[in-house]
Amino acid sequence: MFKRVLASLSKSLGGSKPTPAPQPASAAKPATPAPPPQPPAAKQNAAIQKAAAQAKAAVQEKVPASPEEMCGVTAKMTKDQIGTQLKMLYRRYNRGASSLDAKVRAEADQMLDAIVAMREKTFGEL
Amino acid sequence: MAEHVGIDLGTTLSGLAYLKSDGNPEIVPNADGERLTPSVVYFDAHEDVKLVGSAARDGGDPDRTIFQIKRHMDDPEHMVEIDGKKWAPSEISALILSKLKRDCSRIIGEINEVVITVPANFNELARKSTIAAAEMAGMTVKRLVNEPTAAAVYYAHNQGIKGRMLVYDLGGGTLDVTILEVGADDIRILTSEGARHLGGSNFDELLLAAYAEQYQKQTGADLYSDERHRRRVLQAAEDAKKMLSKLQRVNDTIANDKDGGIARIDLTRDGFEKLVRRMLTRTIMLVEQALDDVKLKPADIDHVLLVGGSTRLPKVKAMLEKYFGKPPRTCGNVDECVALGAALFAKKSARIQEVCNASYGTLAMIYNATTGEEKLQNSVVIPKNTPIPCSRTQMYLTSEDNEKLIEVDITQGEDQDPRFVDVIGRLSLEVPPNRPQGCEIAVTFSYDENQRVRALVVDKQSGRSREVAVNYTGAGILSDEDLKRRTHHLRAMRIE
Repeated sequence: MFKRVLASLSKSLGGSKPTPAPQPASAAKPATPAPPPQPPAAKQNAAIQKAAAQAKAAVQEKVPASPEEMCGVTAKMTKDQIGTQLKMLYRRYNRGASSLDAKVRAEADQMLDAIVAMREKTFGEL
Repeated sequence: MAEHVGIDLGTTLSGLAYLKSDGNPEIVPNADGERLTPSVVYFDAHEDVKLVGSAARDGGDPDRTIFQIKRHMDDPEHMVEIDGKKWAPSEISALILSKLKRDCSRIIGEINEVVITVPANFNELARKSTIAAAEMAGMTVKRLVNEPTAAAVYYAHNQGIKGRMLVYDLGGGTLDVTILEVGADDIRILTSEGARHLGGSNFDELLLAAYAEQYQKQTGADLYSDERHRRRVLQAAEDAKKMLSKLQRVNDTIANDKDGGIARIDLTRDGFEKLVRRMLTRTIMLVEQALDDVKLKPADIDHVLLVGGSTRLPKVKAMLEKYFGKPPRTCGNVDECVALGAALFAKKSARIQEVCNASYGTLAMIYNATTGEEKLQNSVVIPKNTPIPCSRTQMYLTSEDNEKLIEVDITQGEDQDPRFVDVIGRLSLEVPPNRPQGCEIAVTFSYDENQRVRALVVDKQSGRSREVAVNYTGAGILSDEDLKRRTHHLRAMRIE
């Protein structure tokens, strides 16, 4: 069922801006003037299966040990780059902490601890 | 009959306020003479009675006492089992609301229609559960309003201020940060961000661990072995936390429940602040996120308003003063201003512009016309912070030949990565067979004033369409039939 859902819709990135309001059927236009041809269904299903498997594997992955590893921070990164990375991760995992999925919530709690530890290490304690 | 009534259904405390004839809001005390009612329910074993409030919190068997049910309002599977009967979070909340309604109507007259406050970060399911709880308690929800918005409405009414305000609302269970513009006679919300499970009760748990550690060091024994005693020590820890907001040092004497000896617990404000430091860092990160949402800097904020009991911690005030370069303000009693603001909101709602608190969209294979890459992503239809009520449409294309059934997932969350959004509903639409891929499907989401979402899918070629409100499934979700039956049952219940 899940794969089918993913296979149902496709959309061109070129036209990602929302249309302003519900339009009458006759006024509707494609998101881009001429979307490129879609890949065959079989190829697309394979892509979907791969994406789903990667997502599942990522959730089940063992969490790395250090805050640096968990936050993807490397020695070459500047303070600004680390700050940007931490802000992105905080937004993601703060949202994840209220996910309906218990696994995502647990992962989010661990990540939030690592993000705060990394922030304190980089920018000092409050 | 009371016309403009607001209820703060809090994690630890709940309160009801109404608008007096002079246009000012007033808290209505419960039948126990308290201005705020602890959000605790006790199921007595001997009498067919449900105790709500202080009596429930202080009196009984922890196995029959329900604390902080609000934390589970967004959990579709959470159920509380007492004497073989299962209670959904919305039912427990309905008992708290029933107590408020019954007690307060003795003073201000019949209460039928109310505004109820919810954390800004409450999701679709938690909002729906809150509305269901009010219905079971015999009240119609005129509007749900976000807690920081209600507090800001009260502060603006009381102080007559204008300008850009940031509300930092650190309650018992959640943190909300809201940025808004206060005009002469109107309020415009710019953004709201929230953090779940970040509040005073998390600080209490950390302090409880410190108690247990000191006890173990001094006596070699465990501080508690059952839930009843753990609750008692937790209460002592909470009291110590409150004292540490006024004093630099607090001493307590504590025993375990197995004659393991007495220990002297020595706590300092500095030590407590070290314990909660990382949680406070998380709160500052949420402030930064809210500022980033609307591309503002700390200096752009004219007023910082503190709401919620946990903002009494001196460290919170010091931290925010350092960050914003100006002292934060409070609106009198930080525990009452949300209920008071809700009563004002009941009258002024037309002059308050709120925004969508989350992004809503669908899962789709996104084709990048430049790179030729294709990736499964969350495709946002209504972006977060869109003024509400609102409606937005996106066009999609079918990806297979001969699709007979179009299925659309409804997602909540702004992350492009599907792992970090919730699928909160699914809509199916049968379409005519034997069509090629690439048929246009219009997906429209609309978002109402109570922050509830509806989805409409239209097949452009055939004109077929289907519209649904989001419905959840799970052990803790009541069907319409369940709701009716349990409403009837609850109205006959003895609630004290």
